[in-house]
Amino acid sequence: MDQDRRAQWLRGVLDLCVLGLLARGDSYGYELAQSLQSAGLGVIQGGTLYPVLLRLQRSGLVTVYWREGGGGPARKYYQVSPAGRTVLAEASGQWSAFAGGVGAILQERTAP
Amino acid sequence: MRYEIWLAALTDELRRHGVGPDLAGHVVAEAAAHLRDSGEPPLRAFGPPSAYAAAVADSIGGPAQRARGVVGPVRLRAVDITKGYGRRTVLSGVSLTVHAGQVAAIVGANGSGKSTFLRICAGLTGADGGQVELHGTVGYCPQAGGTADFLRADEHFALVGAGRGMPRGAAVRAGGRQASALDWTPGGEQARQLSGGTRQKLNLVLAGLGDPDILLLDEPYQGFDRGTYLDFWHEVWQWRDRGRAVVVVTHLLNQLDRVDVVLDLSAGGAGVAA
Repeated sequence: MDQDRRAQWLRGVLDLCVLGLLARGDSYGYELAQSLQSAGLGVIQGGTLYPVLLRLQRSGLVTVYWREGGGGPARKYYQVSPAGRTVLAEASGQWSAFAGGVGAILQERTAP
Repeated sequence: MRYEIWLAALTDELRRHGVGPDLAGHVVAEAAAHLRDSGEPPLRAFGPPSAYAAAVADSIGGPAQRARGVVGPVRLRAVDITKGYGRRTVLSGVSLTVHAGQVAAIVGANGSGKSTFLRICAGLTGADGGQVELHGTVGYCPQAGGTADFLRADEHFALVGAGRGMPRGAAVRAGGRQASALDWTPGGEQARQLSGGTRQKLNLVLAGLGDPDILLLDEPYQGFDRGTYLDFWHEVWQWRDRGRAVVVVTHLLNQLDRVDVVLDLSAGGAGVAA
């Protein structure tokens, strides 16, 4: 995929994808990066991911806590807040409408 | 780059970008955990420390803003200062009041009298009219000059320290500490052998020696690289948080939303502090 285009798409939805993953369960940065990759969004570097997490934390959509890792040092865990769930619910409806519109246009263009 | 080195550089850069020590500690610990888990080289995962620190500072909304309105007594009061050279009026009725725990910026075009006003406040230049009151000890940093060519940095610290009642050893140690905050380790060179930027670091350290109540700084960052420029502003905010009154002549506007008082001398010499 065109890397510039992918980066632009990600910029618009990465925070929502992170919220969506956290709605399934608390997680930490590296695990989130792996989940995003296995969901097909490609490799998300730490330099991209953690600032998004900080923004979500600052705007109160996620809360954080530290938990000792098995044998390793503590990890910072993220948990979606009630406000985060509200935003996620609204945005997923809006995203469906938006993505549906884009899909309709692109498919019409390639239809016979 | 080994990742311990990268993490140490990140710690420095976060401080330079005004990220508080608690949050910086968390950011570094989280990055360390990520690097260990992923086994990736830090430059690929996070990019250069300065860029990542800038992204972190940006995502938390920039440097922490201090609660305003908690100010101490008046340290500097300049009232209705006028000054001319020959027939040319440089300052006409300029006033400025700075309290303990405040930073004032003096801005204005070249030739608008910024340095002259600061020198009048410092008592180095006489005014034609008006009055300056200083309540406390003063440190002054000129734009250039001010150092003795054939003295080493530690000799400067001892000399200026003596003038402020500090024993030699204490002055040299304090100078060294302040120098390292500006990313400079003084060696055995004489001042004339230092680069312009490093001489300004020396000037700035001398201004702050003995922790004066009032700091008057005349564009002290000429010749500083970007990192040291940020270190300089970090020092300014530290002085403010410790209750010092700081006046900075500057033509760089990107810090103005963080200072407490702006005196703009562009408007024809009759400055108004807002």
